[in-house]
Amino acid sequence: MKLLTHNLLSSHVRGVGPRGFPLRLQATEVRINPVEFNPDFVARMIPKVEWAALLEAADTLHLVEVPKGPIEGYEHDEKFLRQMHHVLLEVDVLEGTLQCPESGRLFPINRGIPNMLLSDEETKT
Amino acid sequence: MAALQTDSGSRRAAGARFFCTAGRGLEPFLMREVRARLAATQVEYISGKVFFTTCSDLNMLKKLKSAERLFLLIKKQFPLNVSSVSKGKILNEMQRLVNDDPESWMSAISIWKNLLELDAKKDKLSQRDANPLKRKVEENDITNPKKLKTEQMQELQESRQCQLEKQMEEETVEQGDFLTNREKSQEAFQNDVVKAVDTPDQKDLTFRVSCRCSGAIAKTFTGQEVGRVIGIALIKQYGWKADLRNPNLEIFIHLNDIYSVVGIPVLRVPLASRAYIKTAGLRSTIAWAMASLAEIKAGAFVLDPMCGLGTILLEAAKEWPDVYYVGADVSDSQLLGACDNLKAAGLQDKIELLKVSVIELPLPSESVDTIISDIPFGKKFKLGKDIKNILQEMERVLHVGGTIVLLLSEDHHKRLQDCEQSGIPLNSKGSHTDEPGIEKCLNPGEKTDLSDTVSSSSEAISQGGLEKMPPFGSLVPMECYRVSLGRTDAFIYKYRKSHSLGL
Repeated sequence: MKLLTHNLLSSHVRGVGPRGFPLRLQATEVRINPVEFNPDFVARMIPKVEWAALLEAADTLHLVEVPKGPIEGYEHDEKFLRQMHHVLLEVDVLEGTLQCPESGRLFPINRGIPNMLLSDEETKT
Repeated sequence: MAALQTDSGSRRAAGARFFCTAGRGLEPFLMREVRARLAATQVEYISGKVFFTTCSDLNMLKKLKSAERLFLLIKKQFPLNVSSVSKGKILNEMQRLVNDDPESWMSAISIWKNLLELDAKKDKLSQRDANPLKRKVEENDITNPKKLKTEQMQELQESRQCQLEKQMEEETVEQGDFLTNREKSQEAFQNDVVKAVDTPDQKDLTFRVSCRCSGAIAKTFTGQEVGRVIGIALIKQYGWKADLRNPNLEIFIHLNDIYSVVGIPVLRVPLASRAYIKTAGLRSTIAWAMASLAEIKAGAFVLDPMCGLGTILLEAAKEWPDVYYVGADVSDSQLLGACDNLKAAGLQDKIELLKVSVIELPLPSESVDTIISDIPFGKKFKLGKDIKNILQEMERVLHVGGTIVLLLSEDHHKRLQDCEQSGIPLNSKGSHTDEPGIEKCLNPGEKTDLSDTVSSSSEAISQGGLEKMPPFGSLVPMECYRVSLGRTDAFIYKYRKSHSLGL
């Protein structure tokens, strides 16, 4: 699971609503994958990023050189884009958990795939 | 058909005429694709085949995604006259298919040869180790003109794909080397290729005829019989030898009530079977067609919430790579299969997977740009997953203005509304693209019984009238196509979200 994906996921436990974001990340196995750098693509992702969630996750994973927020003219700033590229796309959480900040419910991550299936009682109507 | 021309640029031959078979219902997609991808002209759809003219080479032709098989056209003409005529006369007409117009045969064979030579050369290259070739290319970088270098760099960067694609790119690069290093004209290059490659002389060609007969002629002749007649005529006319097991050249004939078509299959493997897909779920042609409807833009977030083995996402990611793709499924085995597929295609960095349920998506409202999905049908999916619930959740997570493209069964279709299929007429160029008239003439006596025989999109195109397809909440229906899945039919639906739900 890449951090870009983590950035998008929210908790859908019953009654939690917007307080279910961001999911707290814990990782036991992380892999760094080199991914082809596409500055255009990264630039397009920047406006979608929830920075607080990203920084929290990056912190948990002890990542360095993580920009704290979008900078002026980021679209043409290769250094900035490369750093974001690394954080969003090259860090892969293989094993770990995601925790709903409101309910505490834990969702496991196995082989890079988060399992967010809820049981029947948990599903909201 | 024109002979070879030494054009500037990448053209190696003037326009040649081809035809493709396509799954029922996919013809409008194929027509649109040949125009867009191959700059094809004279595009016609007649009774299950799309005919077109293009200058594109084999590399581009191989990229066609909505076609089943590709053929070089030798001739297309009026159907054989079989009514109240002796069998002998019909046999005569068949022989005339071969004998009457040797020009078109020779011309087609010559074009076929040229296509084949380039392909064979590529095969020879592919037998070499990939790495030495790459290194050689990098060494030559400095001596190459800038334009060629950019192409090479792009190709090298893109070469994380499967082996076949890598070889194709290397082949193009290798040719570039030839041109630069030897400084020869295109014509000279062609001669080199011809010398370098082992192609049999005209006289030494071995061939095989496959023939399909349908309609009235099938009552008098079997495909085999016709094949034999044509085969004998060819031997007499050109001195070729028949080889049923491993011929150089295959001749394909289709005789029906609408036309007599003769062609040469261009590739050994159908276009529809993809080298980059390890285990296909949904038919790739349909998956690509759905993705082509979805208006995928660079930087978009595209979701398939019932991705299964990931076929749709694979087809989309191949065509529109600068996009963030996410696939979701509830089944471990499907997700494992999808994971395998992604790795085999080299797309594991482009597509993320989640184990989530489509009716409970852990995504904020209005966070997804595009949703494309094959909604499964069958007994095990009836429980607990109503198509309405599914659509509601998709609607929630979709951005306003975003699109949803779904593949629905007849059942889903009926449950969503109570109407016949309808469709927006595609941006067709001129009337020769629509052949509903031809379809209706097929069996004049059975005109009233068209619903079974003619369920192709030609009907859909000509009808229009989306008023019959009701909106779903804020989802406005845009297009609808009926396609064949083999034994059953399904519907491709396209919706756009028109306004926010305020959830």
